[in-house]
Amino acid sequence: MSWKTFGNAAVVGALFAIVAAACAPSTPAAGTAAPSPAGSAAGAPVRGGTLVVAIWQEPANLMPSYQSQTVQSVVLDTVVEGLLRATPAGEYEPVLAKAVPTVTNGGVKVSADGKTMDVTYQLLPGIKWSDGEPVTSADVKFTWQAWMTDPKVGTREGYDQISSIDTPDDLTAVVHYKAIYGPYPTRFGRLLAKHALEKESDYSKSDYVRKPLGTGPFKVTQFNAGESFVVERNPYYRVAGKPYLDKIIFKSVPSSTVAIAQLKAGEVQAMWNIGEAETADVANDPNIAVVVTPSPYVERIEMNTAVNKDGTDANSVHPVLGDINVRRALIYATPKQQIIDKLLLGKAQVGRTVLSIGWAAPKDITQEGYDPKKANDLLDKAGWAKGSDGIRSKGGVRAALTISTTSGNAYREQLEQVLIDEYKQVGVDLKIQNYPSSVFLSGSWATGDQRKRGSYDLSLYNSAPDIDPQSIVNQRYHSKNIPSPANGGVGQNYTRVKNAEMDKAIDEAGASLDFELRKAAYAKALKILNDQAVIIWLSERTDLTAYRKNVQGQGPGNGWRNFAHNTEEWWLSK
Amino acid sequence: MPVAVTPEARQRGQWQMALERFRGHRPAVIGTFVLVVLALLAIGAPLISPYDPEKTQLLLIFERPSLSHPMGTDSLGRDLATRILYGGRVSLSIGVMAVAVAITLGTLVGMVAGFYGRWIDGLLMRFVDMMLSFPDLFLLILIGVLLKGMTVPVIVVVLGLLRWMRTSRLVRAQFLSLKEREFVEAARTVGADDLRIIFRHILPNSLAPIIVAATLGVAGAIITESTLSFLGLGIQPPTPTWGNMLKDATRDMERAPWTAIYPGLFIFLAVVSINFIGDGLRDALDPRHVIRTQRR
Amino acid sequence: MRRLIGAVPLLLAITAVLFGIMKSVPGGPLAIYEGTPGMTDEDMARLEHAFGLDQPLPIQYVSWLGRFLAGDWGYSIIQHQPVLGLIGERLPNTMLLMGTVFTVVLVLAIPIGTVTAVRQYSWFDHLVTGSTFAFLSTPTFWLGLLLIIVFGLQLRWLPLGGMRTAGVDFDLVDVLRHLILPVATIALVQLGGRVRYLRASMLDTIGQDYMRTARAKGLDERVVVMGHALKNAAIPLVTIIALDVPELFAGALVTEQIFGWPGMGRLLWDATTRNDYPILMGVLAVTSVLIVFANLLADVIYGYLDPRIRYS
Repeated sequence: MSWKTFGNAAVVGALFAIVAAACAPSTPAAGTAAPSPAGSAAGAPVRGGTLVVAIWQEPANLMPSYQSQTVQSVVLDTVVEGLLRATPAGEYEPVLAKAVPTVTNGGVKVSADGKTMDVTYQLLPGIKWSDGEPVTSADVKFTWQAWMTDPKVGTREGYDQISSIDTPDDLTAVVHYKAIYGPYPTRFGRLLAKHALEKESDYSKSDYVRKPLGTGPFKVTQFNAGESFVVERNPYYRVAGKPYLDKIIFKSVPSSTVAIAQLKAGEVQAMWNIGEAETADVANDPNIAVVVTPSPYVERIEMNTAVNKDGTDANSVHPVLGDINVRRALIYATPKQQIIDKLLLGKAQVGRTVLSIGWAAPKDITQEGYDPKKANDLLDKAGWAKGSDGIRSKGGVRAALTISTTSGNAYREQLEQVLIDEYKQVGVDLKIQNYPSSVFLSGSWATGDQRKRGSYDLSLYNSAPDIDPQSIVNQRYHSKNIPSPANGGVGQNYTRVKNAEMDKAIDEAGASLDFELRKAAYAKALKILNDQAVIIWLSERTDLTAYRKNVQGQGPGNGWRNFAHNTEEWWLSK
Repeated sequence: MPVAVTPEARQRGQWQMALERFRGHRPAVIGTFVLVVLALLAIGAPLISPYDPEKTQLLLIFERPSLSHPMGTDSLGRDLATRILYGGRVSLSIGVMAVAVAITLGTLVGMVAGFYGRWIDGLLMRFVDMMLSFPDLFLLILIGVLLKGMTVPVIVVVLGLLRWMRTSRLVRAQFLSLKEREFVEAARTVGADDLRIIFRHILPNSLAPIIVAATLGVAGAIITESTLSFLGLGIQPPTPTWGNMLKDATRDMERAPWTAIYPGLFIFLAVVSINFIGDGLRDALDPRHVIRTQRR
Repeated sequence: MRRLIGAVPLLLAITAVLFGIMKSVPGGPLAIYEGTPGMTDEDMARLEHAFGLDQPLPIQYVSWLGRFLAGDWGYSIIQHQPVLGLIGERLPNTMLLMGTVFTVVLVLAIPIGTVTAVRQYSWFDHLVTGSTFAFLSTPTFWLGLLLIIVFGLQLRWLPLGGMRTAGVDFDLVDVLRHLILPVATIALVQLGGRVRYLRASMLDTIGQDYMRTARAKGLDERVVVMGHALKNAAIPLVTIIALDVPELFAGALVTEQIFGWPGMGRLLWDATTRNDYPILMGVLAVTSVLIVFANLLADVIYGYLDPRIRYS
């Protein structure tokens, strides 16, 4: 054997040996007692310390009015507050306001003709911005104006319902709405500082975009794109003695795998958004605990009931999915629980409807479960006969469908492959066609987004309603919101479901300020929606955050916000 | 060995000598052997394995290697060894086909540029410059998204389009220098036209660097495909390629290391073998190396 | 000189084609707003107008070009920061990384390549050959991940990524520790190729006729090697190195991804996946310029160093 080959073999062997040794699963430490839930305080809070949180996506900017990413709100939650905020139960509590204005306490006054309303906010006295300037009602008015005049804000939802704002004194703001706007408590969730922004001609070009002012427990001190985002204790924070932590560093890491590795190595003490399947990696580590919080996110598959064109014909029907039996059969053919158990390690609930938590969530709504036999029977009876290749067809139309979702998502890719198998069992041929998220979620009629144009069959994605569900229920399930050339592609009713009863219930819910009435209306509408069998509700997702044991004070999470919702309470034990 | 006078006979004699040199090059021989084994395994995949490479079995996720699954199973319960075999078909064939495209294109361009020179050369080389100036990866991403996902033909064409430039330069250099040689002069005086000179005289003598470049190009193409898949842009699942198997596996490395070891190992084996073969070919086909081998 | 002028229309063509391709891609930079509760179509239309995305393509291109040449590289649609500023933030990091790789490869390739060529078939040669083959047959990302697992996770000798330890201000030792693995990943693979290249060219030149002439003149072996062989073998090496200069700018995309290095590569990748056109056009324009000039430089050097190749 020549030296050359020997050398090569040695190198190959060495590489292989290294890999094999490296990949030997690390033996779990002896005595894996069940880790005590994070936050069960071991003593009194200690002041001081720096917490490093691993985030595997990073905020593109921190402008409160440009919010588009979840991770943005994670960082912003530590810095910028608003008048009210959501509680874990899906209700509202005051933050910078003295109380939540409602009809009962007189904070909300409906006009005599029942067409407009006024909402009055009383601000807490003595609040200061992180640069020491006082917070006044002028800031509330300015926030609305900024939202409406800056062309680059995300959504103007709600703010465009305001006709004017009066500020009789520094601590009172009276907001005049030009219609009855049920979700009013969701507005002004983040205030903008008038004195800092008013002198800027283009807000998007100011420093505020990366270092906004706020009233939260921390303020942004460093924005190192690609590396880290540092927030430090806000000396003007309104609660004395808090926050306990000196500093929080949000460290940008390339992927969740690296984040987990750094968490285990102790390089970071917390990790945002650990995946369900990944919790297995940290389950055996006695130094790490995972906090599970129910979230409003529901993973679903939407089915297109209209034909695959631009929906120019308002009555066009999808050749395969237009048949409700096919749709229902697909629901029967989906092994929801098994998927959750195997792919999400049980860390989710079977999906039932779009509103999973919160005050409007219907308690006793259901959807069909996994029953492939029923699926086959249904299709047999409906006239879809199985061909020689096992795929059904009816009237010359083959039961062949394409499913789309965002590419690069491991769980979704696994899910699609499971479905290919399962649907084949009931005689439906499923193909995959994924897109990068910037394409799949572009949501623009002009750029040919397939959900808008109706050029898809099955669409798999994850979404959450706002704490007030009106906006999403209206946009997604009201027949007037079916995008088409006729209405300029407006609306998000991608399934193109049309039901007059459901429309009525949705309108009722939107026109009232009575929570009980609205709740009943939503329950009715969503039951009808499930009867239409246009959406397969896969799973109700949870928020998962992993912490090292020395991080204390988190308490149970808030699914309506995120894990950074109460960072003023956190502290590090030794 | 009889030495003939005609150019064709001289070439045949040269090829035979080259073969001898190649056979003396140990690593190249081993590389050939390994590559042939890999190719046979890939071709014979359906005959060798009883499993379906794409069928998911949720109950068998991440099984350790055992007798029934010699390389274990992956994140969807599929037999890894089967996927390696089928993946080899895709990865290896993409490598070969992409290089075929690149070589063909590059040779054509280089031939014309090197032979005709002057402004044609200038124009073509400008074109080469322009192609070289395109950032590869970005173009790959764009094309992938534009065409809504990469299929095998797309990847082959795109990889080929991105790699022909080096060959064209090589061929051009060869043609530039060879066209001044005596045997070309001789052919011209006999009345041979351009086409004949190009294809019968110069090209066969330029084959050596082309062959070497082609061989090494296959290795590069395999690695590029795996990098593409790592970024999520290559062949989409469930079709297995060694590259996209690695992508999923890097996520699962700690839990199921075998899903990462084997695809990586096979890429490594294929590429190393090809590199050895290329090295051996380079030694064998370079006439100047004759001096050295004699000195040994 | 003529070629320099010829480079201008080339660059224009490249940027125009890239722009055209980019805009033909479905989706857009506003996709990140999907899923934001309450986002209506009026909102999307308004945003499209605010960012100038609703104008016809040629107008978008020309207005970009005009501003670009005047020094205004626009603002990132997603980050709302000036493109020049964003590039300025990331460029030093990438130059640090790639510059180190450059230096390491250059410093190591020449001696190793020379020694293996001179002492052909020695045990050193075999060891080097074996290793170089192994390394250049490994996909970069694979090697990187392997190194992270071995040195970062198992042995815990080196940090797991990033450029600095979180919260620590610039500390040379800290940055150096973070540099080791990414540099090793890229350098090992590149070194494999360069050493082989240098070795092959040196072997070529050593065997050349005119080398024998030089030896026949009675010059000392080492002088022969250094003076002549190296200079001539250096030609192809220099060409290759010159072509690598643009990488100082664009960085190693995949490696930066794996190691979380805050450089140009990541900037480009994020911008690509999010269709952030201003960043893309800015970076691509500069990269194209660098590549074109690097090619030019390589050709010029080649022509200068090797008198045997004439230029028509």
